Amino acid sequence: MTQTRRELFRLATGGIGFTALADRLMADPVSAAPHFAPRAKRVIYLFQHGGPSQLDLYDYKPALTRLHGTELPDSVRMGQRLTGMTAFQAKFPTAPSIFKYAQYGPDGMWLSEILPHTAQVAGEICLIRSMHTEAINHDPAVTFFQTGFQLAGRPSIGSWISYGLGSECSDLPSFVVFVSQGKGASQALADRQWGSGFLPTRYQGVKFRAAADPVLYLSNPDGYSSTARRRYLDDLARLNGIKLADSGDPEIATRINQYEMAFKMQSSVPGLTDLSDEPESTFRMYGPDSRTPGSYAANCILARRLAERGVRFVQLFHRGWDQHGSLPRDIRLQCQQTDQPSAALITDLKQRGLLDDTLVIWGGEFGRTVYSQGTLTAADYGRDHHPRCFAMWIAGGGVRGGLTYGATDDFSYNVVENPVDVHDLHATVLHCLGMDHTRLTFKFQGRHYRLTDVKGRVVRELLA
Amino acid sequence: MRAIPLLAASAVLASAAVEFNRDVRPILADKCLTCHGTDAVNKRIPLRLDSEAAAKADLGSGRRAIVPHQPAQSELIRRVTAPDRARRMPPAATGHTLSEAEVETLRTWIEEGAKWEKHWSFIPPRRTATPPGIHPIDHLVRQRLDREGLRPQAPASRETLIRRASLDITGLPPSPAEIAAFLADRSPKAYERLLDRLLASPRYGERMAARWLDAARYADTNGYQFDGERVMWRWRDWVIDAFNANQRFDQFVTEQIAGDLLPGATLNQRIATGFNRNHRANTEDGIIADEYAVEYVVDRVETASTVFLGLTLGCARCHNHKYDPVTQKEFYQFFAFFNNVPELGRAMKYGNSPPVVAAPTREQQAQLKSLNAKIAAEERAVQGYETEYRAWDASAPQARWTPATGLHKAFAPGEKEAAGGFDNDDRFSFSIWFRADAVPDGPLFTRMTNSEHGRGYGLYARNGRFHAHVTSDYEDDAIRIDYAEPLEAGRLHHAVFTYDGMRMASGLKLYLNGREINPNVTKDTLYRPFRNAGRAFTEPFRVGAGNGKNSSFNGGVEDARVWSRVLAAQEIVAMSNPTSSNARRWQYLDQFASPAVRTAWKRLAELRFERERLEHSFPTVMVMAESPTPKQTHLLIRGAYDKKGEVVTAGVPAVLPALPDGAPPNRLGLARWMVSPENPLLARVTVNRVWQMLFGAGLVRTAEDFGLQGEWPSHPELLDWLATELVRSGWDLKHTVKQIMMSRTYQQSSRAPEELVQRDPDNRLLARGPRVRLAAEMLRDQALAVSGLLHEKLGGPSVKPYQPAGLWKDLIMQDMEYVQSQGPDLYRRGLYTFWKRTVAPPMMLNFDAANREACVVRESRTNTPLQALNLMNDVTFVEAARFTAQRMILEGGADRASRLRHGFLRVLGRAPTASEFAVVEGSLAYHFDYFASEDAARRYLSAGDTRPDPRIAPRELAAYAAVASLLMNLDEAVTKE
Repeated sequence: MTQTRRELFRLATGGIGFTALADRLMADPVSAAPHFAPRAKRVIYLFQHGGPSQLDLYDYKPALTRLHGTELPDSVRMGQRLTGMTAFQAKFPTAPSIFKYAQYGPDGMWLSEILPHTAQVAGEICLIRSMHTEAINHDPAVTFFQTGFQLAGRPSIGSWISYGLGSECSDLPSFVVFVSQGKGASQALADRQWGSGFLPTRYQGVKFRAAADPVLYLSNPDGYSSTARRRYLDDLARLNGIKLADSGDPEIATRINQYEMAFKMQSSVPGLTDLSDEPESTFRMYGPDSRTPGSYAANCILARRLAERGVRFVQLFHRGWDQHGSLPRDIRLQCQQTDQPSAALITDLKQRGLLDDTLVIWGGEFGRTVYSQGTLTAADYGRDHHPRCFAMWIAGGGVRGGLTYGATDDFSYNVVENPVDVHDLHATVLHCLGMDHTRLTFKFQGRHYRLTDVKGRVVRELLA
Repeated sequence: MRAIPLLAASAVLASAAVEFNRDVRPILADKCLTCHGTDAVNKRIPLRLDSEAAAKADLGSGRRAIVPHQPAQSELIRRVTAPDRARRMPPAATGHTLSEAEVETLRTWIEEGAKWEKHWSFIPPRRTATPPGIHPIDHLVRQRLDREGLRPQAPASRETLIRRASLDITGLPPSPAEIAAFLADRSPKAYERLLDRLLASPRYGERMAARWLDAARYADTNGYQFDGERVMWRWRDWVIDAFNANQRFDQFVTEQIAGDLLPGATLNQRIATGFNRNHRANTEDGIIADEYAVEYVVDRVETASTVFLGLTLGCARCHNHKYDPVTQKEFYQFFAFFNNVPELGRAMKYGNSPPVVAAPTREQQAQLKSLNAKIAAEERAVQGYETEYRAWDASAPQARWTPATGLHKAFAPGEKEAAGGFDNDDRFSFSIWFRADAVPDGPLFTRMTNSEHGRGYGLYARNGRFHAHVTSDYEDDAIRIDYAEPLEAGRLHHAVFTYDGMRMASGLKLYLNGREINPNVTKDTLYRPFRNAGRAFTEPFRVGAGNGKNSSFNGGVEDARVWSRVLAAQEIVAMSNPTSSNARRWQYLDQFASPAVRTAWKRLAELRFERERLEHSFPTVMVMAESPTPKQTHLLIRGAYDKKGEVVTAGVPAVLPALPDGAPPNRLGLARWMVSPENPLLARVTVNRVWQMLFGAGLVRTAEDFGLQGEWPSHPELLDWLATELVRSGWDLKHTVKQIMMSRTYQQSSRAPEELVQRDPDNRLLARGPRVRLAAEMLRDQALAVSGLLHEKLGGPSVKPYQPAGLWKDLIMQDMEYVQSQGPDLYRRGLYTFWKRTVAPPMMLNFDAANREACVVRESRTNTPLQALNLMNDVTFVEAARFTAQRMILEGGADRASRLRHGFLRVLGRAPTASEFAVVEGSLAYHFDYFASEDAARRYLSAGDTRPDPRIAPRELAAYAAVASLLMNLDEAVTKE
């Protein structure tokens, strides 16, 4: 190494080839690797923020029609706790979905009429109708899905996966997040939902925005070109190289590398987020919104582009599913924004041969109640938060397409068959990625933490 | 990424004989106690390895886990070496395995007699005697180095030393003048004088406070989903002041835990208790309040145990602690200390949640004092009129009196409606006279939206009884009060409603005919202002009418008045009864007294009103208080708020010393216990954090965990020496900082031979000086300081520096907007940056700042590309580079060489070497060429709110600014060497 230090110094003062040498010396010693052969290499998680109504999308309950307006039987509700918003409500009138259902795909999956595009990929997706969670309010419920715990502070699922598997590409972060706005009432989100908790910050999600800077501080200052930046970084590396030779702190070599990585991101990210090189057919597939930067549809295209480049975990948050009132109107609008792009993403990945090793997840933080919140009419109702059952779907890498898994009671109130909780989902996702959820641990404050806390079961029935 | 160490830390630390605490306990803790620990009883596992007696006990049929001196007879050794995997411990399912070395350690320890020790941190610190002639710290560090066959490094250069010391003590780099003065001071006392100067700087308190705010999870918003603003900066400023005044650390701790319970508690002592109110608070509509009320107390337990004890008590919330000797019951006993607070489970959406205290700043306290003096003077001036008054009183006819001060609106006869005013965080009063021939019924005075679930406030008669309310949301966001007092039909009544803007039922008072009447509060959960969620609130005042078309009072009303203040009880008596002595006297003083008395009287009223407004403008701070009726604390089964187990009383874990005799079983008793000399932990964890601040890592690297799962101290005798010295010095924190910094260990160079770096990559042996990247806020502060932009104002409300547009909007709900600060407030130190929990300042997040969601005491540093982008492109740093360039040009001399040298001096505190100089000279030349395009130069110089110095040609300034940015991005610049 002394030899190397001298060499570094010579190169630093001479200039040529310095950064390449630093690269060679200090390549990221990622020791992360799967525990067993993975079925999926990456994840695209379409988080439907606010709590989509399973009753109006995925959980067909034809028998409810006759019970319109009747009081939800106590035998179903069983005194279960309600949010403070409906706990004082005097009546709990049953509100059947106004939407029609039909069967789709080779296995006859029941889907609502407001999901016409999802219906076309029914053979690819695995619908879980028996999800349940512990939380009844947005923030704890989203935190639970993101970190396996209701209170903030633990690493998010994307951070865990980046930590466990490392990065597949050198010029982009391994965990990328997008946020889009729905048409309905939007609940607040928090940066920490993609934070790295007690894992090192390098595993935190990097939010890409539909702004001049897709990544914060990505652009050079006005008037400063990429050529000038290249020269600047060469000089910076020379000076840092002199310091490295003098001080011997390996952290300096890391810093040199990180500045190089920053430069690579400056070149790769704008090209990545600029959709002008996509053919017309892409925009037709993802629908009219996809030309609008920042829309859910545009983000779905970006998710595919990131998957192509090997980004490990892409997470889209789409807000606006919190339909306490005027649900029929608002959920229709929400589906107009999300149905076509979600389905297009599946089709697009499949056409490109990426669906085999990409796991796609669609779902929110909880479901919604069968009884109406506020006034129930023939055509209108609202629904409160409902943690006891809701629906999600997964598709791609390792998943049994076309399968409908789990069942709820006649009121879509309780799970009656094959329950899947949040820890189970996490365990299953990690399993698809080749990781044993009990072995993906990080020691912090004297304890070995896991994404699945002390629970979780791999739901093998969902897997091909 | 760090290079992979050639020696694992445990090997670095190894020496001859096996010691239980150092060598064996970590193995048991890490690999065995998950099942064979305090929690074993719940799992029905017979063997426990967390106590000596249990570990050596007969397990039946003569088997013992540990038979001293006989490893072969010890079941422990048999099981960890069992050839059959199914029998071998630890079980495969745990994911744990024992290495050969670990098995060997266990075997040797049993061979040597299996001597047990209490966990090291639960034994009181022992002060090792140190020889004269050498700094005790150096002695204790050298002993270890001698054992390892290592030598310390030479002292760092004086340039390095002043930069290191300045950054460590003040969080700011030294100025060129300070460097010059230090280099010129040839006295042997020069370095000590430097330390004394730095320790006396008010910047020291800010530097120390930054880390304390991390530990205390300080933020400017409530967190959770809605994340509305709160006001805790008065507590933050108290912390800064306490550090600057070098308050005894035991007192500092006592006041934060129990300042309110100290005899004759001062305002500052009550403000100090804000420490325990900095936790997140949930304001979401649908939450179950009891559930979160528990979370707040749990957060206090976790924070207090981490900060003051270095213990993770939170682990025992749901079950007995798996590793440390803390039971679930003990957790709830500790919990009980913090559970007796009259607080809301669902917090106020905007502003502070009770209990709060008005916390005037020093300036406001001075204003108040001067107002009080003026009021006293005017009171003296309103005297000597008794004779004239009596004469007037005897002759003048009766008339109604009403207060004129603060009158907002007086309704003319017949006037039914007028422009409204006052939100529910304002102070106001209104009065009305009314009479009905039937049982009084209907609205008397209102300001309401016209809907069933309307917002606003009002006073009603409902079937002969009063009802008053202040409502933001009909269902659950309101103060609602009924009154039992019957209202007689057929007579004139006078009603006065006063409201103090604190959004609590206790601040709403109602008077009937001059007498305050008893409220029956039916709802006391007002969380949001009327203007919530960006909604306008433009309703008028309505007299004798309310919301809804047909809503009106069933009798007559007259003389309605509204005031922008809370009327005093005496005034209300005088209003309702014209014959009362006050009514007579005040009428006289208002209208009939001599001009001098009348003027003084008027002035007096105005001054009193001014005082009321001043007092209402005082920032509040959330504080601790004790409920008058003590709350019962239960053990919560599996930690669930609604699964109550046995009742417990306040107490401390049995493994630690008992509460001192006579200590009250409340927070004050806890505080006394915390700072008592018997507590083995407080001094240790405190000096360890100071060490961490100076060296980048603590002597116990797990600064948050001194329990069984924490790391063994690298230098136990040194840790104990520092801990005992802190206590011996009277808990003098500045003394501790100075002591450490006076050591050669601290002053040695951070440059190190390759072999040493490889052997001890994390510098656990301290054979070299610290080399650590600056903390997030220090990077900002340094850039502002070297450029001269820094605005050194101490304290005050948090500020909003540059932030990329739309960051808040992307994530939050409708009604909070990031409104960037203006002028000097753009250039305040990082610890004053407004901290919104759900969208934290991006630069702070990028550079590993503690997240302020929960207590964090361990400093961490990562190295990422986002940091590089941040320092190169964030407007804060681009603008600072331009200002640095201006100084290089204007203060650095006439030629390029001296200007570049000045830049080096300013940013790095030293002169460049020849090879470095060649690189920056080349860079400057390049940028002169590059900025030949004046357009590019002008655009480059446009970053930030300030304008470039017009005395300098844009091309030249831009070229120097690029070089300044280069210097400010150097590894050395972002690192304390």
